[in-house]
Amino acid sequence: MKPKIIGAAILAVTAAVAGMILIFTDKSQITALGGYLGGEKIGLFEDEEIAEYIKKTYHLTFDYSRAGSLDMVTADLSGRNYLFPSSQTALEYYNEVHGSAKADEIVFNTPIVLYSHKIVADALEKQGIVSQTDGVYYADMEKLTALILDEKQWSDIGLSQLYGSVCVDTTDPARSNSGNMFAALLANSLNGGKTVDESTISAVLPKLKEIFSRTGYMETSSSDLFNQFLRMGVGAKPIIAGYESQILEYAAENPTAYDKIKDDVVVIYPSPTVWSTHIFIALDDNGKSGIEALVDKEVQRLAWEKHGFRTGDYSSANGKILVSGIPENVTAVMNMPSYNVMKKIIDELS
Amino acid sequence: MKFFRALFAAITAVGVIASVSGCSFVGGISRGETLRILSGSENEALSEILGECEKKTGVKIEMTYKGSVDIMQELKSGAPDYDAVWTASSLWISLGDEKHIVKHDESICTTPVIFGIRQSLAEQLGFTSGQVSVKDILSAIENEKLKFCMTSATQSNSGASAYIGFLYALLGKTSALTNDDLASPQLREQIKSLLSGVERSSGSSGWLEEMFLAGDYDAMVNYECLIIDANRKLVNSGREPLYAVYPYDGLSIADSPLGYLDHGDRKKEEAFKKVQEYLLSENVQTEIEATGRRISLNGVSAQNKAVFSKAWGIDTERILSPITMPAADVLSNALNLWQSSFRKPSLSVYCLDYSGSMKGEGNEQLVNAMKQVLVQKYAQENLLQAGEGDINIVVTFNNEVLNVYTAENSDEYSLNRLYDSVCEEQAGGGTDIYTAAKHAVNLINENYNPSDYTAAVILMTDGASAVENRETFENFYIERGCDIPIFSIMFGSAKSDQLDDIAQLTNARVFDGRKDLVGAFRSVKGYN
Repeated sequence: MKPKIIGAAILAVTAAVAGMILIFTDKSQITALGGYLGGEKIGLFEDEEIAEYIKKTYHLTFDYSRAGSLDMVTADLSGRNYLFPSSQTALEYYNEVHGSAKADEIVFNTPIVLYSHKIVADALEKQGIVSQTDGVYYADMEKLTALILDEKQWSDIGLSQLYGSVCVDTTDPARSNSGNMFAALLANSLNGGKTVDESTISAVLPKLKEIFSRTGYMETSSSDLFNQFLRMGVGAKPIIAGYESQILEYAAENPTAYDKIKDDVVVIYPSPTVWSTHIFIALDDNGKSGIEALVDKEVQRLAWEKHGFRTGDYSSANGKILVSGIPENVTAVMNMPSYNVMKKIIDELS
Repeated sequence: MKFFRALFAAITAVGVIASVSGCSFVGGISRGETLRILSGSENEALSEILGECEKKTGVKIEMTYKGSVDIMQELKSGAPDYDAVWTASSLWISLGDEKHIVKHDESICTTPVIFGIRQSLAEQLGFTSGQVSVKDILSAIENEKLKFCMTSATQSNSGASAYIGFLYALLGKTSALTNDDLASPQLREQIKSLLSGVERSSGSSGWLEEMFLAGDYDAMVNYECLIIDANRKLVNSGREPLYAVYPYDGLSIADSPLGYLDHGDRKKEEAFKKVQEYLLSENVQTEIEATGRRISLNGVSAQNKAVFSKAWGIDTERILSPITMPAADVLSNALNLWQSSFRKPSLSVYCLDYSGSMKGEGNEQLVNAMKQVLVQKYAQENLLQAGEGDINIVVTFNNEVLNVYTAENSDEYSLNRLYDSVCEEQAGGGTDIYTAAKHAVNLINENYNPSDYTAAVILMTDGASAVENRETFENFYIERGCDIPIFSIMFGSAKSDQLDDIAQLTNARVFDGRKDLVGAFRSVKGYN
């Protein structure tokens, strides 16, 4: 951290006219950044250890307002320094509405995963839809999608204890990022496992719409959906789509509670899955300083160990975590459809 | 440009939610704060735990109990008079929180919505072993072997959940209900047949339990925790307990979320967090479990095993697969259909006090009240609109019955005519509520088959009645053995003593029409 401060000091001397930068060099002066934050990162921004470290090292504090990844783009940005959504789509949307961002950087990543329960994972394994490699569960998304589309009942796959059709609960894809990304995954699966593009999307949309028309009421926040998954049991939420970071953060924050559910809760990686990329969009120079703080190695380490966000340097390959069944690297990943294609998907599902 | 409309909808919906800063609070700052919680009536059973919570956290708790649909409406208007919301199911928060003021919402406990059926009757119907479906229950109703009590679907979560569950089961749906499904003529017939088995209705689950205990009924649809609570009381008074029946094709689970209502007061927020943390702490969770609520997926803790009595059919080991709630527009369509067509028609006899003491303000309040329920434009705003087959009768009285006006047709024209009669009647003379009430009960018994309707008498008066006919009325009511509740809505300079006695005699309630008229009507109509 020393070189950074010296660097900043040199900058300050050479650019003494720029009063804004002077503020950063004055160690007694703390700059408070304000912006919009996706709900899944609130735990991280509320983390006192991280906040304290950033304050001490970068003389910054982060204030935030919670907003959906797409909603924040068109929110009132006056007096805001940053946006911190959870998808590339949001950045592209920002660029379309406001022109190029001052600066942007992918700060954290987390894959979209499925959360399920042991009996469901076992049944899916028997059907050859889920398989285990090195203690990690992977789902064949094309097979799973077909099962959902065919309106197979749980009893059809040997789960007569459960009543109803095989389904994956998600958040509302037109309103919330995790549901939106899972819709993209389904679209890719319906497209034979290839990322849908402008030429293939229209063939996929009717089936995609069919699947979502059967899901009924959807939550708008991924954290609410995850909490219900934990609270209401296998009959209520046999499978949900969420972020990998959610179980890692839950286990780190509630080790005793996690201990009680760990034999039942199963993390399944769609194969391939998609990355939720947490892109920090700086709206002004103050906002840019936020990037520097968030990509700091110590912050990145804490983000992984306490909140489950993968970063350039940290993943289960090196950082310690409590959850088993988490792969060191997530390699089976496909691209999200382009922004224009995502617009079509959202339009169809609204 | 549908995409941008969608985005816009999402923006206004998810919106830019209240500003939160990252700073933390110093403990103790919330001491002396008052937390005003807007709550479902099922939480009344937790009052002891909340009392202890006040002592431990130093936060004063003020509970206001309402039905789920009213809570949703209150949230839609921003709930300015409350600091927290604690509803039966998160569905109502999601549907109501248009202003995005709810934060930190977490489930405190869960409980399924089930049928509680008199044990011997449940055995007789074959419901005490094996799987029971909604269709099994329907055939018991059609064979006139079963009648039940439930809350109004347009007012209370347990009623709405049960009703939606019935729809799924009758359609045999395992994926989400659609508007097309709701248009099915066969469904319409079946659901009306099922709901014809409703013996008594209530505006909220807590009140349903009270009403059930005060009367003599076969069954009720309610939360598992309230069935357990009712059973304790039934057994304590030497009565037959209810057997818990979990219809597998139409189940739902209440998740009881407690959320903070952000009006920008940091101290309140801190007070809220303390209360929530207290309620979620391990010891308190076990105390909550002792009231019959479920707190864990891993079964019941050792010390509370006896609470979830297997002898009563309570089954915590069974995997509960609740129905998928339909999308918001389908749900709202379904609730409107309940109110306008599917529910059992209501037969309401309004006894209106036109005595001299009601002259002036009292009469104004009374006429305005009738406007809210008879003029459909106003009634609709509060989901009080008349439905197919509803019958509305007005009996005007002073020391004797003055006039009887009947609208056997629930169309707008007939109801407007009824309202005109109310406006034109002149006040004067003495008051005798007993003669009027007796006349109203006779009207129902002599002209209609009360079991075809949810029948009720609604006495609207200042309650200062002559008492010489009181005994005659009471004897008449008891001898008749009829179960027609006589609700009262108080006006003018009302005193409730006489009205409370009538409510007790007829298993009804008294409401204050001067404070919250629409609330009073919603409550009465919840029963009717």
